[in-house]
Amino acid sequence: MRNRSRRGWRRVFNGVNLATLLVFLFIVTPLYWMITAAFKTPSNVEVSPPQYFPHPLSVANFTDAFSHYSFGRYIVNSAVVAVVSTALVLVLGTLAGYAMGRLPMRGRFTVLVLLLMISVFPEIAVVVPLYALLRDIGWLNSYQALIIPYTAFFLPFAIWILRNYFMAVPREMEESARIDGASPLRTIWSVVLPQTLPGLFTAGVFTFTACWTEFLMALSFNVSESYRTIPVGVALFGGQFITSYGDIFAASVVAVVPIAVLVFIFRRNVVSGLTAGAVKG
Amino acid sequence: MSTSPVAPAPVDAIGRSASPRAKRHPDAFRRQQARLGWALSAPALVVVAGVTIFPIAYAIAMSLSNVTATGNGFSLSGLTGSNYSIMVQAPQWRYALFFTILYTVITVAVEVALGTGIALVLERLAAGRGWMMALLLVPWSMITVINAELWLYIYNPVYGVLDNIFSHIGLGTPVILGTRVPAIAALMVADVWKTTPFVAIIVLAGLVMIPRDYYEAAEVDGATGWQAFWKVTLPQLRPTIALAVLFRVLQAFGLFDLPFVLTSGGPGYSTQPLAVLAYNAMFRDLDFGPGAAVATSTALLVVVGCVAFIKVFRAQAGTEA
Amino acid sequence: MKTAHQTGRRRRSMQAAVVCAVAAFAAAACSSSSSPSTSASAPGASATSSASGNAASGNITWWASPITTTSPDPRVVLINAFEKAYPKIHVTLQSAPTDTDTNRASLITTISGGASSPDVFMGDVIWPAQFGKAGLASSLSQYLPSSYWSNFAPGLVQGATYNGQVYGAPFFEDQGFLYYRKDLLAKEHLPVPTTWEQLESDAVKIKNAGLTKYGYVWQGASYEGLTCNFMEYLGSAGGTVLNSDMNKSVLDSAAGVKAATFMRSLITSGATPAAVTTFQEGQAMSAFATGQAAFLRNWDYGWSYSQTKSSPSSVVGDVGVMPLPSFQGQPSPGTSNIGGWNLYVNPHSKNTAADITFIKWMTSPAAQTILATQFSEIPTVTSVRNSAAVKAKNPVLAIVGQTRLIPRPAQTPQYAKVSQAIYTNINSMLSGATSPSAAVSAAASQINSAVKTSGL
Repeated sequence: MRNRSRRGWRRVFNGVNLATLLVFLFIVTPLYWMITAAFKTPSNVEVSPPQYFPHPLSVANFTDAFSHYSFGRYIVNSAVVAVVSTALVLVLGTLAGYAMGRLPMRGRFTVLVLLLMISVFPEIAVVVPLYALLRDIGWLNSYQALIIPYTAFFLPFAIWILRNYFMAVPREMEESARIDGASPLRTIWSVVLPQTLPGLFTAGVFTFTACWTEFLMALSFNVSESYRTIPVGVALFGGQFITSYGDIFAASVVAVVPIAVLVFIFRRNVVSGLTAGAVKG
Repeated sequence: MSTSPVAPAPVDAIGRSASPRAKRHPDAFRRQQARLGWALSAPALVVVAGVTIFPIAYAIAMSLSNVTATGNGFSLSGLTGSNYSIMVQAPQWRYALFFTILYTVITVAVEVALGTGIALVLERLAAGRGWMMALLLVPWSMITVINAELWLYIYNPVYGVLDNIFSHIGLGTPVILGTRVPAIAALMVADVWKTTPFVAIIVLAGLVMIPRDYYEAAEVDGATGWQAFWKVTLPQLRPTIALAVLFRVLQAFGLFDLPFVLTSGGPGYSTQPLAVLAYNAMFRDLDFGPGAAVATSTALLVVVGCVAFIKVFRAQAGTEA
Repeated sequence: MKTAHQTGRRRRSMQAAVVCAVAAFAAAACSSSSSPSTSASAPGASATSSASGNAASGNITWWASPITTTSPDPRVVLINAFEKAYPKIHVTLQSAPTDTDTNRASLITTISGGASSPDVFMGDVIWPAQFGKAGLASSLSQYLPSSYWSNFAPGLVQGATYNGQVYGAPFFEDQGFLYYRKDLLAKEHLPVPTTWEQLESDAVKIKNAGLTKYGYVWQGASYEGLTCNFMEYLGSAGGTVLNSDMNKSVLDSAAGVKAATFMRSLITSGATPAAVTTFQEGQAMSAFATGQAAFLRNWDYGWSYSQTKSSPSSVVGDVGVMPLPSFQGQPSPGTSNIGGWNLYVNPHSKNTAADITFIKWMTSPAAQTILATQFSEIPTVTSVRNSAAVKAKNPVLAIVGQTRLIPRPAQTPQYAKVSQAIYTNINSMLSGATSPSAAVSAAASQINSAVKTSGL
């Protein structure tokens, strides 16, 4: 907290709290609607006028999602793909982001723009040729069928983000490390990275979420039940004319929990990154 | 080691350094650094190129030839601009272009304003910031298809909560998704709700990296809260906000899941953005050539827009540094 | 210290490596798409063995979306019964997306990518022309004799034909029915309506009496289902969409305008809510089953849905079902649009003998009876439809033989665009943005350009 706020500007405090409350309501209201729908009995989900609070409370939708559909399997698949892809993206992206943010590479701007173009290209157009490619390598219906494309498609974004944060780090620290004889990798690891933890966190969370929620490629490449990810699995809930909102929302509630936990865990890194950066020299 | 940091070493938007050390032995040092740079970037670039170049090249090739879908794959014949001329003359494409641009401009503007506001509030929060951040990420981490189903559930005219509220406050039961302007507004609301946290997080990460000493210096100069905001926070936030705008524009142009589930591009094709048009052309009508033309031209448009944006940004940053 | 020359060489070698990788991938992919499909064995050889359909063995995959939402799963039940009858063939189920458009897109990606799996897929009845033209489904006429096709109810095989070849075997059928609230009609002392005009006035009466929120609900959203609804009014008025050669629209006729005008009048008279322009099956069904509508047009599942309390339904025991009414002065009953699913064979399948055996069994009286009696799906085989056991199962199955069927104009490979021309213009008319005659002529001209050229 900055000192001037602690000078007791009560208006600032009240303003902040009120604003926080508004933000809270903005986020929570649709979420409330989704969570309560998940806990309604299946027959109350579409009753009119709608119930503002489930009456009676029921976990039938949750049990249905896991028993009638193999939702547990989908969670495992999504987790494997997302974790491995994120790890790959962070490692490769840190190296490339540092290089392009700091080192005098000629043609770097061209490469960056090329990366941008690649990340921008509509997925729909590339899915069919990519499918043929994967089929030829024999990688359809496997974890790598998603991990490799995800890494490739989400790297440009991560490189851009990480590069931005690397560029904002003061050069003096790297140069003194270089004077002390540290190798570039060591410089990155012990000097630059700790300062850019917020950036790593940002890139990591975004990549993980992108992998967790990606739909089109997962639908096209991993059709078999044992490798299906959550978005595709949920697309199967219900019937031709019937949308099982209860099941879908119950599954969604479960799918969101890992990410919420992740963020909550990593928030300490953000805070410590903050305080470490504040005390320099 | 310096005890009080000075302003960071001058760099332009793409990080070219002007620090003294590099200037002393320019050539050899630069080359060594450049080689190092390529070596570090190589793994990432190889992965990206290996997976994306062929499909993208193939898609571009599809857009420039007569494509027929056969059971054995696609047969591409001839080099022709006919797909593009079909596309440009189609009123559906012209509307999709207009709608996509309109949608992008409005949603990005709203999200950046809201997101920055949320980030500012969060930054001042002492207790509970972790909880608020976790909460912020929940809508953003929802699968887009599920988000669309949620809003479909909310906008439903029979059992949806929004119409229920409207009828209680005397607005009747408007058919939200069945009329053009309300449908567009409904789409935007669903998108803003889901992606504002994305912007807020990016801006927040940029906010916390602003050195405190700047604010101390501003205080010493007698600046009030608002002045500090305009003179310190915003300029320092500029690159971060620019990044957020850049990526939001990219995402908004590729808008697909939300209108696909919420309105299927309807009513008529009034909520059909370019990506849904490309999808329908390719997978519903089996017109792969024109569909690929739409996809390729969309990507091109966005790239041109982004390059222009970056150039303007660099010019501005250059004049300020 | 490395020289500039060596630095440049290292960068060039890196670039060369990238180019090689890309070229390798490109070569692999190009070779696959240009080489003839090795899995499509000579038709002559397989025809002899699969015509009998007895010597087949092996593993095949069946791609099918969920048929019902309750347990047990009909797909699993049928597979188990099939494997009991043919122990040498093992069938693996691949569960497809429930949304028919996503399903189609996924299949197109898979099959045009050359995959040999799935071997058999369950597809919509409107796909044969599109899939047949693009080579995404095998012609079944080469494997199955005409005696086989005569087992099916009239109109179903015609709907699965393109260019004289039959591409899909009718698996189970669906059509539109009229569901009504017996108790409300009784309360208002109204007889069951026999014409559309009568239905409209009944719906208005019941709604004005405050007995329900809506009078008559159906599917009016801008999607394929609206084409189905429109076809029913159009057929009852005596019209069609395309001429017999499938290359010109005959929609802009007195019948077309009459159908469109009536649909709009349903809203303006208050019989149907304006919200119908956003109704798909789910919303209309929900409105009727929760007691908010007096009349409903829906597919066959409407019966079991409305009679199951947990659907949710509050109208158990109060529902009657009948064939759709017709217009005054036109033949009765009104026409019902054909829906349902066919079984198709992947042209890359490696085991066509087993595929044909599977399809023949699934369309045999044994399997069809299971579908009808255990799961209340409408069978496609005439003998099963007319059997007493099936007819006794529920009121919908009992009246299946009484309906008049009308297919959608799906024999043209441009059907997707034809349908879009219909549903976008009719939906726009329903919301009041255009007049019925303007909507019909706009649809007709868009249909004409669709069947003549290809484009966006």
